[in-house]
Amino acid sequence: MKNELLHGTLEVMILKTLTWGRLHGYGIGRWIMEQGGDALRIEEGSLYPALYRLERKGLIDAEWGLSEKNRKAKYYRLTPKGRRVLTANVTTWTDFATAVGRVLSSVDAPSRA
Amino acid sequence: MTPTWRRYLRFWRPDARADVDDELAFHLQERVDELVAGGMDTRTARAEALRLFGDMPRVKDECIEEALKLETEMRRLETLDVLKQDAIYALRLMRAHPTFTGAILLTLALGIGATTAVFSVVNTVLLRPLPYRDADRIVWIAEKFRDGRGSASGGHFTDWTNQSRTLETTAIWQQRTINLTEGEPERFRAARVTPSFFNVLYVRPALGRYFLPEENADSRVTVLSYPLWVSRFNADSSIIGRQIRLSGEPHTVIGVAPATFTLTQFDERLWTPFALATAQTTNYGAHTFVVFAKLKATATIEQAQADLAAITEGIRQRVPDEMNERGVEVVPYRSVLVGSVDTQLWVLLGAVTFVLLIGCGNVVSLLLARATSRRKEIAIRGALGGARIRLVRQLLTESMLLAIAGGLAGIAVAKLGIRFLVGFGPAGVPRLDLAGLSWEVLGFATAATLLCGVVFGLVPAFRATRVDLQSELRDGGRSSRGVIRDRVRGTLIVGEMAVALVLLVSAGLLLRSAYLLQRVELGFDPTNVTMMRVALPAIRYDSAEAVQAGVTRILDQVRALPGVQLGAAGTRVPMWGGSIDIGVRVDGRAFNPKDLLIGHVRLVTDQYFETIGIPILRGRSLKASDFTPGAPSVVVVNETFARRTFGEENPIGKRISGWTRDSLPEWREIVGVSGNVRAFGRENELPPEIYMPMTHAPAGAWPAYNRSMTFIAKTRTDVSVTAAMRAALKNVDAELPAFDVQTMDDVLVQSMATRRFNTMLLTSLGLTGLLLAAIGIYGVIAFFVNQRTHEIGVRMALGATSRNVVALVVQHAAGLAGVGIILGGLAAYWATKALSGMLFGINARDPLAFVVGAIVLLAVALGAAWIPARRASRVPPILALTE
Repeated sequence: MKNELLHGTLEVMILKTLTWGRLHGYGIGRWIMEQGGDALRIEEGSLYPALYRLERKGLIDAEWGLSEKNRKAKYYRLTPKGRRVLTANVTTWTDFATAVGRVLSSVDAPSRA
Repeated sequence: MTPTWRRYLRFWRPDARADVDDELAFHLQERVDELVAGGMDTRTARAEALRLFGDMPRVKDECIEEALKLETEMRRLETLDVLKQDAIYALRLMRAHPTFTGAILLTLALGIGATTAVFSVVNTVLLRPLPYRDADRIVWIAEKFRDGRGSASGGHFTDWTNQSRTLETTAIWQQRTINLTEGEPERFRAARVTPSFFNVLYVRPALGRYFLPEENADSRVTVLSYPLWVSRFNADSSIIGRQIRLSGEPHTVIGVAPATFTLTQFDERLWTPFALATAQTTNYGAHTFVVFAKLKATATIEQAQADLAAITEGIRQRVPDEMNERGVEVVPYRSVLVGSVDTQLWVLLGAVTFVLLIGCGNVVSLLLARATSRRKEIAIRGALGGARIRLVRQLLTESMLLAIAGGLAGIAVAKLGIRFLVGFGPAGVPRLDLAGLSWEVLGFATAATLLCGVVFGLVPAFRATRVDLQSELRDGGRSSRGVIRDRVRGTLIVGEMAVALVLLVSAGLLLRSAYLLQRVELGFDPTNVTMMRVALPAIRYDSAEAVQAGVTRILDQVRALPGVQLGAAGTRVPMWGGSIDIGVRVDGRAFNPKDLLIGHVRLVTDQYFETIGIPILRGRSLKASDFTPGAPSVVVVNETFARRTFGEENPIGKRISGWTRDSLPEWREIVGVSGNVRAFGRENELPPEIYMPMTHAPAGAWPAYNRSMTFIAKTRTDVSVTAAMRAALKNVDAELPAFDVQTMDDVLVQSMATRRFNTMLLTSLGLTGLLLAAIGIYGVIAFFVNQRTHEIGVRMALGATSRNVVALVVQHAAGLAGVGIILGGLAAYWATKALSGMLFGINARDPLAFVVGAIVLLAVALGAAWIPARRASRVPPILALTE
């Protein structure tokens, strides 16, 4: 359950992460987990296919660069298209999340016909 | 291997795997570092990092898969992008050099267009398969008499049919004419055929069925041709089963042949079945049947020829008397259909090839010139790292764009051309009206286009990219190798000029023939003469008196028509009808049957000479009194007859005899000598002729003429009496059909149609060739001037006048054109032999055509060269020097 939900939202979260600027895969994963805490703890590896998918969709760009420790790392960056998609999806996703939250926390019993 | 090194490799080949490996390795490294920093020992940290990561192999596979997909997509986009760039660049170049672009496009449009148009016609008439099932196996079996091919006897047909081992089906076709007495009576060409005819020449009927094997003349059935069905019965499909009256007899329509059923040149409009009578199957003397057959699938023409020759030899053994100088020949049906137009079409195809050659010459020399003038640009692009293959691709894209644009324009030109050819084509060319832009033709045009674009684009492209950068930049594009390239272009132009001259001379010969033919004295005056042909049926007009009475009644009606000034009739009028050759003896000369003088006899009414405008040179014309019964027998002969028979002697008053029942002479006195008449059309000889009053027709003459007369009416200007003449005929005998009513001018024009068509075709091809050659020499000279701007500037700075400069350039052109014209003259001297059969009044070596052709070509070449020469002379020296 947790994983399935994540799979769809992972891409949106990656896009969101990248709004802060260019970042490598490791950094993206760490940021998401820092923000989401244990609730969003995932297998770190599942981040990478998502990154490649986003790159292929043209939502993010990749280029090689040097990390702080002078290691060669692949850095990702949001494309204008990615930024547009994110804006659209954030609204949809928060609406959805709010709606689900409302349903799950509701105390009204369903009315019987 | 260090990552940097691998990245560098990627310039040559994409390595998605290594990228993924690197990225994931970086991730683990970072994680391990962090765990170690948190106090874990390295080994444990490594295991923990892997655990946190999850399913490493699966992640890796997924990433690689995505990356490879992305790679492919990118490459595809890149290719498209390059193509788009190339195309945009090419289009920009095309717009920047309108002269070059225009010259190439015009060349391709004209070259491909003219070629395709004529190829379409040739394709339809000559190459396209006949519509019949197994058309390749259809043959005409001709009886040979000396060198001629002719009809066969019933006996021959029967023996061939029964004894041959190579024939599948045989059929007889025999022409006849039929009066259709249904509504407006009309006379038609028709054919009686054995039912097997439609098995030999089979196309699915448009309606109904063809004849059954057992059907014959007594079955009273008929199959209509498509044109007759449309024109006479409004394409009404309920015609099947209906009865129509053919020459008075009711016949049931059982079928309609489709439009594609190519009629023989006789152009019959309907068919009736018949079977040989028993007596006919053993008759070897009456050669009256056209025999068609279909070969067995396994048999060849040669085998059939041998087979039938053997059978015919057997006939010779049995009836040697009937077989004197006779034989058999098996002729493919296709060659029967197209035989007479064959040469003309091949001549046209040759001319078309020449035009295409000139066009290709232009394209090559223009592209070559362009490639040369861009050497500097190409050298710089090469120096800046442009891969050679990329440069070649750029040049090829340009050529292809030009070829495609030119090809499209060519197809448009071809469509117009075909419409033009079909519209102006004479009636006599079979299947011409079916010509259209077909798939084969489109394929041909496309192939021609691609050939021009790829082959001719590739050559200059490769040559241009093999540029020595250093010398190119140093010399500013002027290197010694340019001279060689000039020579190539020069040779091309010389070749074009030569080929163009062959075309021009050919067109000139045909034009001159047409002109000479137009000037031939007809010997009669065709203006405002309308003709109507009538055949009186034997049933109601059995005796000579009945025929003469009928003719007189019709003639009286015709003469009474408003607008008609004069009227007459004759068994033959110029261009139409039949005359009969007779042997003539002269009163007072010893009679020698072996040495008979020949005369063509025609029966005429009074005022015949006056109506048709034939002059009487000596003596008098035929008077009305010559026609009264019992009047003395008189004749008028023509000049040829008078000269051949009497030489310088005065023929008036001499008596001649001929066409008598027995050896006793029936003397007829010559009262006049008429002028000669081109009775068989302008191209024919002037035969000796005898005009007899129809009332003094020799016994048995009317049946020999088929009781047929042509009525002629001379009208005042602008009066059409065609309808009135038909009506007049109907007044006399409502059942009598008029065979054909036409003005003599129309008939004359039709008789010249084929020749005019050919002349027109070859002339337009000649002009196309001339135009293309002009474009070619213009292009080359313009380029020559362009390349020498610098040199010209120097010359002018040193005091050369603009006249000197023009002379320099024009001399260059004149040199090329001169060599081309000499070579072309030699080639034409040899090539125009093929035209001999199409010429009139001149031979194929007519000097005038050669001289005029050469002068026109030279003038056009110099004219085309003069334009860039003028431009060169206006070059300001300073510009030339600083450039």
